[in-house]
Amino acid sequence: MEHSANYLGLIPLLPLTGALVIGLLHMMTCTGKPLPEKLYSTLACIGPLLSFFMALVVFFHLRDMAPEDRFLSHIAFTWFAIGDLHVDMGFLADPLSALMLIFVSFIGSLIHIYSIGYMAGDENYGKFFAYLNLFLGSMLILVLGNGPVVMFVGWEGVGLCSYLLISFYTKDTDNVLAGNKAFIVNRIGDLGFVLGMSFLFWAIGSGGFDYLSLKENTHLLTPGIGFAVCLLLFVGACGKSAQIPLYVWLPDAMAGPTPVSALIHAATMVTAGVYMVARFSFIYAHVPAAGTIVAWVGILTALLSAIFGMFQKDIKKILAYSTVSQLGYMFAGVGLAAYSAGIFHVFTHAFFKALLFLGAGSVIYALHHQQDIWKMGGLKKKMPTTYATMLIGALALAGCPPFSGFFSKDEILFSALASGHPGIWFIGVTVAGMTAYYTFRMIFLVFHGKPRDQEAYDHAHEPPPVMTVPLIILAAGAAFAGVLNLPGIFGGHMSVSHWLAPSLVEHHPHASVWVELFAMLASIAAVVVGITIAYKKFSQGAEEPVFTGFAKFGYHKFYVDEIYNAVFVQPYKAIGSLISRIFEPNVTDIHVKLSTWIYKKCGKGFKVLQVGYVRVYAIYMVIGLSLMSFFLSQSIN
Amino acid sequence: MIHDYLILSVILFCLGILGVITRRNVFTVFMSIELMLNAANLAFIVFSRVHESMDGHVLAMMVMAVAAAEAALALAVVILLHKHKGKLDTNVFSLLKG
Repeated sequence: MEHSANYLGLIPLLPLTGALVIGLLHMMTCTGKPLPEKLYSTLACIGPLLSFFMALVVFFHLRDMAPEDRFLSHIAFTWFAIGDLHVDMGFLADPLSALMLIFVSFIGSLIHIYSIGYMAGDENYGKFFAYLNLFLGSMLILVLGNGPVVMFVGWEGVGLCSYLLISFYTKDTDNVLAGNKAFIVNRIGDLGFVLGMSFLFWAIGSGGFDYLSLKENTHLLTPGIGFAVCLLLFVGACGKSAQIPLYVWLPDAMAGPTPVSALIHAATMVTAGVYMVARFSFIYAHVPAAGTIVAWVGILTALLSAIFGMFQKDIKKILAYSTVSQLGYMFAGVGLAAYSAGIFHVFTHAFFKALLFLGAGSVIYALHHQQDIWKMGGLKKKMPTTYATMLIGALALAGCPPFSGFFSKDEILFSALASGHPGIWFIGVTVAGMTAYYTFRMIFLVFHGKPRDQEAYDHAHEPPPVMTVPLIILAAGAAFAGVLNLPGIFGGHMSVSHWLAPSLVEHHPHASVWVELFAMLASIAAVVVGITIAYKKFSQGAEEPVFTGFAKFGYHKFYVDEIYNAVFVQPYKAIGSLISRIFEPNVTDIHVKLSTWIYKKCGKGFKVLQVGYVRVYAIYMVIGLSLMSFFLSQSIN
Repeated sequence: MIHDYLILSVILFCLGILGVITRRNVFTVFMSIELMLNAANLAFIVFSRVHESMDGHVLAMMVMAVAAAEAALALAVVILLHKHKGKLDTNVFSLLKG
């Protein structure tokens, strides 16, 4: 039973229209006197806020329906139809996409509002908001699409926008390179997605290529093809959601303006991979082996990036690695068929990570673009609101009860233990401790102790309300979002899991209360240990250490970028130059050169006719006309 | 009788062609073109007479009007050509030689 809802198409359309209008206004005025910033910021915030409002309408509409009927769909038009492949530009809202829709548009709107303050005075103010709107619009298409193809439109859209926004400050070559890196690494993932999609169509696409038809036809999928589809789709998810081996772009993506980092890490882009795996839960449930691989890749990514995070000194890089690490948890969750736990972690993570990034943005803004945590310190007194909100974010990220991160992370770890993967559980708990350590290392170094750079400290001040109010709203979310999915042990009803149930194919592992309690206590212990070590080492004004041994290895991210450069980039360049020097001039160019040679020779032959004297041309005319008359007279008789 | 007029028309037309092809002076070429136009006019008039219709006359008048207009334009071009090279020899103007 599906209900149709015409307004679904408007949800992505509103920000996209905003992007178009703002982009055109900016293009028309970018050479002359720029338009007032108020105009741009008003236009930019209308779309996302209206989308959020309509997401709420969708939510209440769905809530009033019976749980198994919770599907709203709208077919805007037939996009293309070739043979068996019939693709509509259609939108589908079910409990899963409704949940994503609400937090994506909500956090997206808050980041838009925050950007009004953060980007004030930038010469490309209009361009920034046009891209930001386009980013959000693409993400909403991704979430709302009713089939893999429409999802792919949004998928590519967010890829493009991340490229545009990461290299937004184009004056610096490093930023442009970071944008290129993000785009190229994403393309590798996209190849996996496209291949997976093609396999899926080849196997079971003839009965319709949207989620609902695919779900009905899943039983036709042979295990081999199913495994291949799952892995290929996961390659796509690795690219977009920064998992091993394609995580390298995300830390470099810090080159963009801070609100963009918040948007990429919290609401849009990186959550797309997790959402996609959850969306295809009906296929992953069909091949549990693929899910196990997903879970292991996820948890190893979590471990690796937590190690990197412990040694970074750029405040945004620390947060970037924490995102990669948290994404690893999410994949561990969805890989172990605990889809609702994974999606719930996406949901809570969106709040506290957006909060932490926007808080870091405030710090950077206050210190005039200083990002090195070893040059900060003691900012607690100067920026009390930022400190309080970031502390809440850090507690949530570290997984400290009762903040939101605790419940979502614990749900994943519990699923790992209950579904019989103690290895994943153990790594997960270790990573939880490491997360607590590096998060509080950052908090202590930035806000506690004595100022390390007195001049910057003296100029530091709390940012304007347009930036602090979103922080406060997000802090409330980060603190209390966990209540939505309170497990039974605390007297809750797992409301989010129940809400998501109709969209997902999920097995809830059953385990005794003692196992749940044990898992919980273990992760609390890990968090406490992590925070204590960080407190001992950094709360009393530690000085920047010189990295040696393993720490140096970790600071340089295990030289993974250098290895990739040596193993992939340089050979690729060498092959390229080989082709351009040997293959191209001798093989491909020959055809082109041959055709130009033929034309030249013909031209030389016909040149003798072009003598340049007008009377000779008259002779040609007479000859031509005579012949024409002759043949005409022949045909008449 | 009609044949004689038509043969005269053809002779005039061929003279015109010969003039265009063989003469080098721009004015002579131009006059030869006029000759060809009037040869055609003669043929029109003859056929008009044969068919006892005024259509040929109308066309002849039209050709004369066009010829007059063309003369105005062509003479202007000739003056420009003379200004440009100081000569009216068509062999001088051979920029399009391949």
